Amino acid sequence: MAAGAAAVRDETVEVWDSRLRLHVKIAGDGPPLMFFHPLAGLAWQPLLDRLARRHTVYAPEHPGTSPGDPQAIREVQTFWELLLVYQELIGTLGLDRPAALGQSFGGMVAADLAATFPRLFARLVLLSPLGLWRDDAPIPLMEMVAGPPAEVPKYLYAHPESEAARAAQALPSDPGQLAKAIAQTTWNVGCTTKFAWPIADHGLGRRLHRVQVPTLIVWGRQDALAPAAYAKEFGSRIAGSRVEVIDDCGHAVQADQPERSWTAISGFLAG
Amino acid sequence: MKVSLFEQVPYRYMPEGFENQYNSVVTAPYQVVEPARMTESLFSAYAELMHGARAGFDGVCVTEHSQSSYDISPNPTLLASAVACAAQAEQLDVAITVLGRSLGKTREPLKIAEEYALLDCVSGGRLIAGFPVGLSYDANLNASLPAVETRERYREHRELILKAWSEPRPFPWNGRFEKYGQVNIWPRPIQQPHPPIWIPGTGSPGTLRDILSHDYVFVYLSWDGPKLTGRQVFDRYWELAEELGRDRNPYRLAFLQVVAVSETDERAEKEYGKHLEAHYRSGLGAIPHTAMAVPGYAEPAAIEGMLRSAGPAGMLSRMKTATYAEIVDSQVAIVGSPATVADQIEAFVREFRIGNLLVMLQNGSMPRDLTEKNISLFAGEVLPRLRPIWDAEGWENHWWPRAQGAVSEAAAGGKA
Repeated sequence: MAAGAAAVRDETVEVWDSRLRLHVKIAGDGPPLMFFHPLAGLAWQPLLDRLARRHTVYAPEHPGTSPGDPQAIREVQTFWELLLVYQELIGTLGLDRPAALGQSFGGMVAADLAATFPRLFARLVLLSPLGLWRDDAPIPLMEMVAGPPAEVPKYLYAHPESEAARAAQALPSDPGQLAKAIAQTTWNVGCTTKFAWPIADHGLGRRLHRVQVPTLIVWGRQDALAPAAYAKEFGSRIAGSRVEVIDDCGHAVQADQPERSWTAISGFLAG
Repeated sequence: MKVSLFEQVPYRYMPEGFENQYNSVVTAPYQVVEPARMTESLFSAYAELMHGARAGFDGVCVTEHSQSSYDISPNPTLLASAVACAAQAEQLDVAITVLGRSLGKTREPLKIAEEYALLDCVSGGRLIAGFPVGLSYDANLNASLPAVETRERYREHRELILKAWSEPRPFPWNGRFEKYGQVNIWPRPIQQPHPPIWIPGTGSPGTLRDILSHDYVFVYLSWDGPKLTGRQVFDRYWELAEELGRDRNPYRLAFLQVVAVSETDERAEKEYGKHLEAHYRSGLGAIPHTAMAVPGYAEPAAIEGMLRSAGPAGMLSRMKTATYAEIVDSQVAIVGSPATVADQIEAFVREFRIGNLLVMLQNGSMPRDLTEKNISLFAGEVLPRLRPIWDAEGWENHWWPRAQGAVSEAAAGGKA
């Protein structure tokens, strides 16, 4: 994928009455697309390179997850404030109805932004989003986050041994860098779970009917974090949405099934 | 020197090898419990605390853990209240230390303000108020509060409680986490503006700075083994004290030490060894490491510091397989004859300048008769050697309950 890697620049954008300086990774060319990252923070990855060939990708880092600025998480007190922060960011970036793609925790953020501000986005892609809860399909978020790190891949991947899964979980070998990386990722999860703990349900299910833009929902049939039953829940609440459930695929759909998930995503965004 | 008896409230009949199958907290399976043995385990803790109060300890001390098999004390003020009442009835002049209700975990901080105030009144002004943040598994898993907010909650709750205790008129509280229209608690502590405040911690620089700058007591627990980690924690403490312009009064420090004493060193090992080993393995040893720091509980610099730590590793991370020899060598527990025990305690008390000692004399499966023997021997033959340690330096213990006179009046039943 190195040959197709996009040139990524880091921009800092002041929002929230100057209390936050959000880092946004920007790459590519074309109509704008916002990417909202999952629990562990923003990792630039092959999916984003692919998107950058057709879009200008804007990938903000959740407050507190940018290295060197851990206390930024204190400036966002509630999930409601987080939504306002992102809505301000999109305006400050000068984007007019970008597409939005959110994954897992980021999917919950993107979905709630689209429900709260129905004219904010032009299109919406949700990759196994959090945000709903069914008693018969519990989401073991707490078990994953507070459990042994070695067991995290089993929640995220149908094939934890695949090259993509291993690349996503890779840690530096230098001990100093390793400590830094573990500390950063751990803190990132602390910053995102602030708005997803212990159950990532802020009442999104009661607002999803407000989503008015074309929406694609992608799920892995073997998702061990957010069971695939939620694909139908999202699909039935968002009028006109499309649901793609991919076989032999876990929570991180683009790692487990890069081609099939890309076919679905790229086809939808081009449509 | 003030010496208090500290008790946890374990279920005393944990099956052998429990730690190889289960966690001792959060998900510990209740099916291992026989109800009658739970009653006995709980009652023994009450009885042993009273045994300690009668034997001459300066104070008794309990703490809080929910969803735990090694300390079944979801609200320690319940236990403390029973002991405070019984101590009043027997006219025992004993401090009641709750070490304490977790301020970072609670959803009802005013309940803590009220319960502590009630304890201070019932005991005639003998409460020591513990203000712990709360362990991560308790605050972030059991109470399910977002880890990254634990310390913010703690700070707000502490401020609110202190104000509720001392503000003469009803006041509104518009906090980040708590909103109240009219705070006006009944009762208020006898000790005004507040009872002595003790804060347990692992000794991180931020916690120590907070404690010293507010002039509270830092409480360190021996789980890591003072031989391994005591030096670095207490050196840091006294250096910081100097930096902040605090004196070297040893009563600023409290230290919790597990002790098992018998007639001879050999008998002590024989009587207590198996209980200690089983206790650490199935209790602290069966808390998953990850549950002690749910992501967000510790700041990135602190995590990095822990991972890079050049200092000696404590025992806490190795408890699951702890052997009796390791427990004793690291001084996680001090075990032996009265002379052996007193020598070892006196050495580290002087070395680290500790003015308030808490001793934990019951562990895991230890039965009540053996625990009471431990309590009696300690009170009779070890405590008298420790009490005068700081007398020659002439420090005053500003962090000990002040209203000592009320016990006889209360016990007299308010007869006119």
